[in-house]
Amino acid sequence: MGSSPARPPLPVPEISERLRAQFGDDVTEAVDRDGHAEVTVASQRYREVVQMLRDDEDFAMDFLEFLTAVDHQDRGELEVVAHLFSTSCNHHVRLKVRIPRDDARCPTISDLYAGANWHERETWELFGVVFEGHPHLVKLVLPEPFEGYPLRKDFVLMSREAKPWPGAVEGEEIEEE
Amino acid sequence: MGVIDKVPVPQPMKFILNWGRRYSLWVMNFGLACCAIEFIAVSDPKHDFIRFGVIPFAHGPRQADLLVVAGTVTDKMAPALKRVYDQMPDPKYVISFGSCSNCGGPYWDSYSVTKGVDQFVPVDVYVPGCPPRPEALLHGIVRLQEKIAGEDIREKWSGKLTRPAAPTRT
Repeated sequence: MGSSPARPPLPVPEISERLRAQFGDDVTEAVDRDGHAEVTVASQRYREVVQMLRDDEDFAMDFLEFLTAVDHQDRGELEVVAHLFSTSCNHHVRLKVRIPRDDARCPTISDLYAGANWHERETWELFGVVFEGHPHLVKLVLPEPFEGYPLRKDFVLMSREAKPWPGAVEGEEIEEE
Repeated sequence: MGVIDKVPVPQPMKFILNWGRRYSLWVMNFGLACCAIEFIAVSDPKHDFIRFGVIPFAHGPRQADLLVVAGTVTDKMAPALKRVYDQMPDPKYVISFGSCSNCGGPYWDSYSVTKGVDQFVPVDVYVPGCPPRPEALLHGIVRLQEKIAGEDIREKWSGKLTRPAAPTRT
């Protein structure tokens, strides 16, 4: 891998501490989830956090594993999830950015990690998150005329409208919507 | 096609023509998902569909007689499949292999999966299963060969049969 020598991974509490020290209240939540640091940051500092994690020598997060979103319809929020990994230190950081569902805007990190480009396009077409500053935000996996954001919870599946889901176990009550 | 589509073909001639065509099906595998693996299993020495005259070495759609759609066709993929089908010379046949290409299968309620490949290409034989056993494809091929044996070549070459039936789904 890279030229830097292999170092032991930073422990999760230390990752949280360092991020809190540098970004203060913009780090709204930092928890240990299955040995990975899961850090929720404010969207206006998201790019800064990513850049720091990438360029800081102790973090050295040189690899973006994935980027996607989660629809929290009950809270009226979308959560953009970016998973960073350090190939030299072997530690993970999962960054989460909470954005309002009806005005889903999030800064792009495609200039920091080239691999984020397609992930952001996909997240945009499936969840409707507009990545501001993205160089080429057009459809990637969906056909061009497709309308709507299919991975949002309120997306209507036409087949299910015509026919109820046949997979219910006998005796189980079917939820009415 | 010259004389064949102008005058009625006598029965012995028809028999010989169809007999020749049914045992030399050059196949194009449109493998899209796990069903493609089953298709490969059919072409290997254990199941060996070459003994039925199905030859899996068509260099492209222009040399193929049979298109096997094996796997999940999405709306994004559908134009590519249609294009491959359009490039095949007549007479041509389509086997829809597996539940996904038959009707959408487990993705019947998906936003992206085409609910049946027969919506845009005419299908001759449907092979059910998820994925079907290799023997099921052999059975499908034999059924297709039976169909070819009883075929009126004028009708086949008229081009009427290569248009898909109007969708009847509601």
